[in-house]
Amino acid sequence: MFNNLVFIILFILGLYALIMKTNLIKNVIGLNLMEAAVFFWVISFSDIGGEVAIHKLGEEITKFNDPVPQALTLTGIVIGASTAALLLTLIIELNKFSGTIDRDELEGLND
Amino acid sequence: MNWMNIELVLLILLPTFTALIMYFSTGFNQRARNSLAVAGAGLELFLVLSLFIFNLEAVKESDFFLQSTMGYTDTPFVINFAMDNLSLLFSLIVTGAVFLIVVFSTQYIKDKENIFFALFFLVLASIQGSILTADLFTLYLFIEAVTVLTTPLISFKKTKETTRAAMQYLFYGITGGVFFFISIILIYFNLGTLKMAAVAESFGLISTPMQLTIIIFFLLALIIKLGIFPIHFWLPRAHSACPAPISALLSGVLLKVYLYIFMRLFWTMIAFDFLVELHLSTFVLDLALVSSLIGHIFALQADNLKKMLAYSSIGHIGMILAVLMLNTEAAFYGGLLHIIAHLLMKSGLFLSSGYLLRTTLSHHIDDLKGIGHKNRLVFIAFIIICLGTIGMPPLVGFVSKWFVLLAFLEARHFFGAFVVGAGSIIALIYYLRYISQAYETVKSESPSLREELVSITAFFESTNIMKNVIYIFTILIIFFGLSFKFFEMPINTAIFELLNPQKYIELVLGG
Repeated sequence: MFNNLVFIILFILGLYALIMKTNLIKNVIGLNLMEAAVFFWVISFSDIGGEVAIHKLGEEITKFNDPVPQALTLTGIVIGASTAALLLTLIIELNKFSGTIDRDELEGLND
Repeated sequence: MNWMNIELVLLILLPTFTALIMYFSTGFNQRARNSLAVAGAGLELFLVLSLFIFNLEAVKESDFFLQSTMGYTDTPFVINFAMDNLSLLFSLIVTGAVFLIVVFSTQYIKDKENIFFALFFLVLASIQGSILTADLFTLYLFIEAVTVLTTPLISFKKTKETTRAAMQYLFYGITGGVFFFISIILIYFNLGTLKMAAVAESFGLISTPMQLTIIIFFLLALIIKLGIFPIHFWLPRAHSACPAPISALLSGVLLKVYLYIFMRLFWTMIAFDFLVELHLSTFVLDLALVSSLIGHIFALQADNLKKMLAYSSIGHIGMILAVLMLNTEAAFYGGLLHIIAHLLMKSGLFLSSGYLLRTTLSHHIDDLKGIGHKNRLVFIAFIIICLGTIGMPPLVGFVSKWFVLLAFLEARHFFGAFVVGAGSIIALIYYLRYISQAYETVKSESPSLREELVSITAFFESTNIMKNVIYIFTILIIFFGLSFKFFEMPINTAIFELLNPQKYIELVLGG
């Protein structure tokens, strides 16, 4: 139950930062927090107290952790890192053009 | 390693290799690069067409199926590509439209072409991947790849407006991706598999609250990506900020791919009965209809030509989604036909708006004054495509809207029928606003120097290819409007797939 609780708290914190904060960098942090919440949750679920699923030929392990969620999470982390980098690049560009990284100020400047 | 049906993998690898060549094509001259790009897209189109023509008998019998497996087949987790009639139809129309867009952009893009074409072909590869994949996680990867790769294309011309649009697009896209990921993980923990066919077999075994959670997260992800009403703010900005070929790609092609994924998820993988049981289908239906109405109404107040077209896209996508949710044969026929019609019309409209920009300063309605006199033929083509979008009789837009209307009336859903009619009337008003502005006689004063310079340089730069692509779109719209029966066979076989998901499931699991 503990992992569900942590997941919900982290996810809602991330969603709060993404929706309510007007600072764009904070929004990126919120998005990454959401992703991290999901990844922690997946890993905590897949850990059933067994061994790593890598073993030598012939050696037998009776109880091992499912490697698929770990693979999914690794891929997810890579996507998350690349999108965060892309987002931050765009925010830097935006700062060069308009001198602000505040969402509301950006909206106001345009219209 | 299984070499059977390697052409499915080739469909994804070919654009990837073209993208690689394009990226390193800085040393090539203009002509070589352009012909390579057109050849890459043409080869892709030829591959899909050859799949269609060589299997014509099987397609007619509705038992066309190809499958290609990468990796060891005895393990449960392999990369699996499958193509049935539905995927074939979408692959065909997407590749055809992309080919024409590539031909257009060889002339349109004048700067950093190597990066443009590299990203463009990578997007094409990801689109083909998401159409062909039979595996949830690969689907997630390809969707994210599409989102990430289209972002630099949106901010291709680096201005404040485009950068902001790209940033917003990426924020929404990634949030949708996170929701999608949660759904996938929940499915994996409940069923222990990620193959769509295997999930389809045992989805009923999951407890009802968990089913509801999974479906809601999938719906959230796809509603964000499709730009349905409560979360549609990013769409007009993103679709109007980018260069014209990318607008055509995003609005004409990519939204249809998300619709395909919607169908694949909610008809093949999760049987539609679950949506009906959980009372979500009527909710999505009403939401899509409201979204359609709101898209059309917002298009009325848009003072930018491309923004208006993007809002009109929201209207049409909402209508298609709504008619698909009716879940009858007539509804599928209308919906699929309108998907094809809207793909042709919206690509044509965005491309011609890009061409018209060459002789004006901006896409703002005040700058479009007198544009109909400057480019007569192209603007006539633009008007014809507009009439198609409104739904004038001899054009393809009328035929598809007619079938959508019939489907709504047959299901006794009168609000839907009202939205289709009202959308057409509102569309007539907002297109007429632009068309009347375009034929306004320009004041006899001499135009400002900058305007004159723009028109002169545009005159010397312009060649016939861009115009010809717009004419081809116009001719296709007239031709398919007269002979829409041409699509009857592929659409009917696609409907067969939607109504009998059991065939896809058995073939994927068996092969």
